[in-house]
Amino acid sequence: MLKKCRSVFLFIAIATGMVFAADDDAKTQNRQALDTKIQTLKQEVIELNRDLLALEEELLFPANTQVAVFLSMDVGTLFQLDSVQVKFDNTVVANYLYTEREVQALYRGGVQRLYLGNLRSGSHELVAVFTGKGPHNRDYRRGATVTFDKATGPKYIELQIRDETTSQQPEFRVKEWQ
Amino acid sequence: MAGPRLILFAALAIVTVASVRADERRVVKNPHFGQVLFEFYQDNYFSALTRVMTEQQFTRLAPHAEEAELLRGGILLSYGAHQEAGRIFERLIAAGAGPATRDRAWFYLAKIRYQRGYIEQAEDAIARVEGALPGELEEERRLLHANLLMQRQQYQKAVDVLQRLPPRSDWAAYGRFNLGVALVRVGERESGVKLLEELGRARAPNEELAALKDKANVALAYAFLQDNQPARAKAYLQRVRLNGLLSNKALLGLGWADAALDSHERALVPWVELAHRNAVDAAVQESLLAVPYAYGKLGAYKQSLDSYEAALVTYAQESNRLDQAITAIREGKLVSNILRANPADEAGWFWRMQNPPDVPEARYLTQLLASHDFQEALKNYRDLRFLEGNLAHWSQQMQVYRDMVANRRQAYAERLPRVLSQERTLGLERLRTAAESRAGEIARIERESDSAALANDKERALLDRLERVQRALAAAPDADAAEKFRRYRGLLSWDLSVQYSERLWEAKKELRDVEGLLAQADQRRAALKQAQTEAPRGFEVFAQRIEALRANIERMRPAVAQAAHAQEQYLGELAADELSQQRERIAAYVTQARFAVAQIYDKAVRSEEARKE
Repeated sequence: MLKKCRSVFLFIAIATGMVFAADDDAKTQNRQALDTKIQTLKQEVIELNRDLLALEEELLFPANTQVAVFLSMDVGTLFQLDSVQVKFDNTVVANYLYTEREVQALYRGGVQRLYLGNLRSGSHELVAVFTGKGPHNRDYRRGATVTFDKATGPKYIELQIRDETTSQQPEFRVKEWQ
Repeated sequence: MAGPRLILFAALAIVTVASVRADERRVVKNPHFGQVLFEFYQDNYFSALTRVMTEQQFTRLAPHAEEAELLRGGILLSYGAHQEAGRIFERLIAAGAGPATRDRAWFYLAKIRYQRGYIEQAEDAIARVEGALPGELEEERRLLHANLLMQRQQYQKAVDVLQRLPPRSDWAAYGRFNLGVALVRVGERESGVKLLEELGRARAPNEELAALKDKANVALAYAFLQDNQPARAKAYLQRVRLNGLLSNKALLGLGWADAALDSHERALVPWVELAHRNAVDAAVQESLLAVPYAYGKLGAYKQSLDSYEAALVTYAQESNRLDQAITAIREGKLVSNILRANPADEAGWFWRMQNPPDVPEARYLTQLLASHDFQEALKNYRDLRFLEGNLAHWSQQMQVYRDMVANRRQAYAERLPRVLSQERTLGLERLRTAAESRAGEIARIERESDSAALANDKERALLDRLERVQRALAAAPDADAAEKFRRYRGLLSWDLSVQYSERLWEAKKELRDVEGLLAQADQRRAALKQAQTEAPRGFEVFAQRIEALRANIERMRPAVAQAAHAQEQYLGELAADELSQQRERIAAYVTQARFAVAQIYDKAVRSEEARKE
């Protein structure tokens, strides 16, 4: 009996999680066929999404009027970002409140596309107001302004939040991408 | 081997992301690539994947194009798309990618080939990695290398490779566990036991390693139990945590070790403790047989009989519950319950079921639900449900975009005649003739230095007045008046000649401005003319793209729904099979219990007969 019980147990100890190993060939083949079908479908839907996103961008934000505002951040020891407001020519176009997960993604080098819209060619003014905690955990609110020319190609503007180590203050810069 | 191998597979699935996470802050020289990373770092892998592909379509990823392609391959690999991921890595290598990218691509290729069982090709790929890989990826590479060596039964080399891993590395612990089990299985018992013993004694700073440590001790104990060395087995079992996942198995083994040493009283201690635990667990079910077995050995037949009968009641209850659970699973509720208990935004590599659903059948499926294969199949199902939602969203959007293009087309058709008529009323030709005539006039003024032609209104009035005076003086000469006239005219001529250069410059500037405006008007006219042919064509192109994509969406929706349904059924079958196996095991226990009860009765009858005789 001991031997018998022991062998039953050893079966349990070793075989837990092995249910698939007991599959017969037909089952394995079916599973593989279904798996291959699913992989193909996933691939197709991913490619379809790429085409759909491209269509959406070209339809809603044509290159000749497109303007995108990005936001990036470095290590963030001097400034903890809470929210950002973006105005174009005195009109608010974006108000964004950040989650911890998003802030972490920014710290690690991610760049957020904060706004994607359309502007006519000509001169425009962008004002960004950053709110958060500054040095010594004090409430901090700062603005950055830039006047730029929108030509017939798309315009990309990046709002950069940098730690200025010499002044021990955060710095807010605006970079125009060519 | 399968148990440890499963752990390893789960670990391999996770490390891809972990290794990318280990890379510290990246320097991003292109906001579009940064946007991909922004999604990726938030675990939004589907968005990161589609975003990187969209940016590739717009060719907006320089100078990160190579890195972006590697990232795409990595995401696809963990998304289960091995073939496409493999093609990406092979393309990157063939295109002469830089050493860092090439090394990572070879590593990923080795991993894909290993997972799919192409050992020789995997060895070839891993041998081509020249430098150290970044972060934890290097540890994973060594682990993969050790696994390949194990496949070739080159255990000593595998030990050497694993020894080069940092001692505290989790991967090293998994590697040593796999190697230890492999060595025991091929008969190199001593080396295997040594490795597992080291692991079983090591410090475990986290739950994952503590569980692995328990597993090593339990594996060793059962190997020695099977080898009739119960005393040695006990030593390992006593190291297993009392409340860990393997505590039930350890208690059961501890009882068997004592029983094998003929200490049935001692064996009862862990078994009775175990018999009071949840009867869903296989070890607990077995202890229900072990306890009366020990009583029997001790000659306590009455207690033994009572315990067997109690066990039969419990087995009957469990068997009934299993039947109900199988029925519930066949009704297809298990998978939806699991997803409800584990919500998340997007499908991704990292996704694993964390919370078993709070339904009766889940209690019997703990092992199955935690297994790598079930989790992978579940992830596939979850991905498909996510894609169903994604396609439903796009299906609605396509309707909106279709209307948008139709509205734009109509608005254009309505506005065009108005714009054309406005353009006509501007009278551009007349304005151009006037500008040409003005240009001729300015040229004449300059040629003749005709400062009077540039006089302002006041000066022109004075000039007219002087002309009238001159005519009056001619009719009635007057010397004083003539002298005054000469002085006034001289004064005015002086003023005009002083201002001539500036006025001529201004006149030319005005003319240039007018010519500039006329050129702009010409450009607009040309653009308008171009738009008259291109805009309708543009609307048509958009309309066609929308229709083609919409047709694709509508074609894929039922295919995805059908695959999701098939996958759900497959998961249900897995679960039902698992429960049927459990029911069969209980049936075997019931047979053994009944047989033991019959033996006790038989023994009692015989001893009664012997007493009578």
